[in-house]
Amino acid sequence: MEFFERFAVPHPSFAIYASMVGIALTSLAIVVGLTYFKKWGYLWREWITTVDHKRIGIMYILAALIMLLRGLVDAVMLRAQLAIPDNTILDSQHYNEVFSAHGVIMIMFMAMPFLFGLMNIVTPLQIGARDVAFPRLNAISFWLFFMGAMLFNIAFVVGGAPDAGWTSYFPLASEEFSPSVGTNYYMMSLQLSGLGTLMTGINFLTTIFRMRAPGLKLMQLPMFTWAMLVTNVLIIAVFPLFAVALAFGAMDRMFGTQFFTIGNGGMDMMWANLFWVWGHPEVYILILPAFGIYSEIISTFARRNLYGYKSMVASMVAITILSLVVWAHHFYTMGQGVLANSIFSIATMAIAVPTGIKIFNWLATLRKGKIEFTTPMLWSLAFIPTFLIGGVTGVMLAMASADFQYHNTMFLVAHFHYTIIPGVVYAFIAGLIYWWPKMFGFMLNEKIGKVSFWLVAIFFNVTFFPMFITGLDGQARRMYTYSEETGFGPLNLIASIGAIGLALGFIVLAYNIYWSTRYMPRNIGSDPWNARSLEWSIPSPVPVYNFATLPHVKSSQAFWDAKTKGHNLFPDKVEEIHMPNNSGVPFIMCVIFFIGAFSLIFDMIPLAIASLIGVFACMAYRSFEANHDHGYHIHVKEIEETEERLRGANK
Amino acid sequence: MKIDNSLPLEYSTEENRLKILGFWIFLAAEIALFATLFATYFAYQGRTGNGPGTEIFEITPVLINTFALLTSSFTIGLAVNAMRLGNKKAMLTFLGLTLALGLVFLGVEIKEFFTFVHEGATIQTSGYLSILFSTLGTHGAHVSLGFFWGLFIIIQVSKYGLTPHTANKAFIFSLYWHFLDVVWIFIFSFVYLKGMM
Amino acid sequence: MAQLFPKHHVMGFIFSLVLTVVAMAVVVYDLSYTAAMAILLITAFMQAGVQLVMFMHAGESEDKVTIYTNVIYMVFFAIVTILGTLLLFIWDM
Ligand code: HEM
Ligand SMILES: [Cu+2]
Repeated sequence: MEFFERFAVPHPSFAIYASMVGIALTSLAIVVGLTYFKKWGYLWREWITTVDHKRIGIMYILAALIMLLRGLVDAVMLRAQLAIPDNTILDSQHYNEVFSAHGVIMIMFMAMPFLFGLMNIVTPLQIGARDVAFPRLNAISFWLFFMGAMLFNIAFVVGGAPDAGWTSYFPLASEEFSPSVGTNYYMMSLQLSGLGTLMTGINFLTTIFRMRAPGLKLMQLPMFTWAMLVTNVLIIAVFPLFAVALAFGAMDRMFGTQFFTIGNGGMDMMWANLFWVWGHPEVYILILPAFGIYSEIISTFARRNLYGYKSMVASMVAITILSLVVWAHHFYTMGQGVLANSIFSIATMAIAVPTGIKIFNWLATLRKGKIEFTTPMLWSLAFIPTFLIGGVTGVMLAMASADFQYHNTMFLVAHFHYTIIPGVVYAFIAGLIYWWPKMFGFMLNEKIGKVSFWLVAIFFNVTFFPMFITGLDGQARRMYTYSEETGFGPLNLIASIGAIGLALGFIVLAYNIYWSTRYMPRNIGSDPWNARSLEWSIPSPVPVYNFATLPHVKSSQAFWDAKTKGHNLFPDKVEEIHMPNNSGVPFIMCVIFFIGAFSLIFDMIPLAIASLIGVFACMAYRSFEANHDHGYHIHVKEIEETEERLRGANK
Repeated sequence: MKIDNSLPLEYSTEENRLKILGFWIFLAAEIALFATLFATYFAYQGRTGNGPGTEIFEITPVLINTFALLTSSFTIGLAVNAMRLGNKKAMLTFLGLTLALGLVFLGVEIKEFFTFVHEGATIQTSGYLSILFSTLGTHGAHVSLGFFWGLFIIIQVSKYGLTPHTANKAFIFSLYWHFLDVVWIFIFSFVYLKGMM
Repeated sequence: MAQLFPKHHVMGFIFSLVLTVVAMAVVVYDLSYTAAMAILLITAFMQAGVQLVMFMHAGESEDKVTIYTNVIYMVFFAIVTILGTLLLFIWDM
């Protein structure tokens, strides 16, 4: 019995018990459903063992959407608690758990997989490649992310949720002040998904550097692919660092090391330091892809070349480098001297310059354009002014001396939501709608899409604008309640009402996916948006091998030029195509990873060691197998038939 | 698979070239990992709490280790050279030598750790010692992993001969091993020598 | 036999041994902190250079530019992390 006690939830509530029942019932339903419809084999063969970048991308996006839902539920709970003064829906402990979960899930398990989903699907297609450089590694990345996400998500029903914020600052996150296993979950689940992220970074950099279609130079890459390049450049620098920081944190909690303790030479502030050396570039890992998506969409629907290609690339590279040298702006108040603060303050403000260049380039692209107000375009247009508010308040926060006033207030919360939601969430939704036909062969409904857009765009501001004001008035963040006398009540109520509208907007988006899947026409052709880059030159949905013959590229908008100037993109004859085999090893290996991480969380060392050996066994197995696993070939006849079928139906 | 015979075996297919570039990028990520350890190490110098500081270092084992790793880096270079000459036997000999030197390194390092612990310096004693053991341990864990990896390559080269596939693995392994040598040089210089100054 | 011990490998090895011995000077002689750190920095980075160029064949393939950019970028990141951390925790605390 004693053994099982550790898995109990230390601070339960009715909602948690209800969720347990809910999770159990849903899992049961899935198992029964799969068995009843005899879909296990299909699931295993077509999805779990797949190494196809498009399918992996779709799985990432599916996971991201589910996590978006979970994060949204958390957010609504937070806003419900803050709606009126002295509210008691959540007690302080639950409030802490919910905002910690909200932050981690939204950044690590919603935004990141969403990014990887789009990256997986679009990047190889934009550079004219048949897959990524290391398809199997790609599968491992996905499953590591997935296992990390699942691990984090079971925390609140098995052993207790983390409660030290998404930043998990020590000493609060130490054994002493956070005795439940919650923070162990944080350390281990982020470690798993972070490892997957690092592998993705390596994989896609290699892909972009070496697998471009004949003739495609770096300075001709579509802007989305450029964004992916710099994003992955940031990933390979900061994710190893984060892995070390997480390992330190985990060792402090599990093995009694003294990294972030207060006595004995430890330094709690080192956690904050390492966290932000990773954390600041991390927010740029999210925003740079978004810039890429907006560039694609704006130039497509303004029907013009992107204005200032070279300055767009240069500003992205500048942002990449600058974002590595500004991290201390997150802790100006921690006690370092004026010199250090000034250096980081100036570096931070400098980021506004390349960001400004990008904004002007988009505006210049729009000017004289024949703008078409499709849903992806609406999201992109709404981004510009809203993100501007986020950026300008960022510069306010960047001034070290002023930051002492509003650091850790709702003003900061408003700032980063004004950057992340229009910057990242709008972008990914816009990208999802834009590339949806490429993934599935039908479009999402524009009318329903516009309803969800307007709901989100309006209620986003209703939710977050009031926080600028209450923040400047001194409302601290991460406080589970406030008193009547503070006068924060009315504005908070407005924000909470806004949150409902925002949630409604996302629900309409989900409904759109459901509705469109059932009713939208399937004969849309390969280029429904009249777009510009290579992915639109092949059938939708894309066949496994992507390109029957590799395209020959002469410009950054190869497909547009092919359409308008009559270039022949595909001069080669069809040849046999070599493809990698599917494999169950990535999945199995990641399940073992999951077991190992879970055992470490609960201090079950022998099982953790056994899992480690299991992981190595998988790698050793692969090492030998690779000597005679040569993949398979698709024959010319089969390719021609497939092309005929897909293209024929499109005409 | 298209094989380009004008290039050394390990570069001869596109898949091989991808793997080599990918591994270089991985090594860059490893630089970031060790940089983090070093950054923390430098910041924690002197934060010894009630535990001992750099006075626990001894020069002899460190020198043995340095020469063992430097030599192993040399021998694995020779192994790759022999591989390019198509001399499987010499290659395997040099690889074996490399791994033997790796074992010497590990043996000495483990013994050193035991002496540290004996002198009351454990990973739990102070902030300084936590990061010291983590830095050395991370490098040591890399060497241990490298040892088994190398063993696998010896087995595969003996079993399948020098194919584009095995040659590629061996070459990538050599990159890894050289890299560990570089990391050790930095540990040797900025942890040990600087500590004993 | 000579083929198995190409000259530049042997030279590289000897060079790395010499650099190690030079670095040892900082513990043998009583140097100022600045001088000692200068010696350590120079010898360590030269050692790294020897490995990179002579043993790791960083410049031999068509990806030479990518590989060197990649390494330089990461060394930049490493230096920023280390100096930034020192600035925050030691020099300006
Ligand atoms: C011109 C651009 C930007 C500037 C100058 C800037 C500046 C800042 C500063 C100084 C802080 C710390 C404030 C404090 O803790 O008191 C901060 C926090 C934050 N920023 Fe920005 N920022 C910018 C853009 C962005 C972007 C593009 C994102 C995300 C995509 C972002 C996400 C965040 C987040 C998540 C936090 C808060 C983290 C936390 O403490 O939980 N920022 N920003
Ligand atoms: Cu920041």
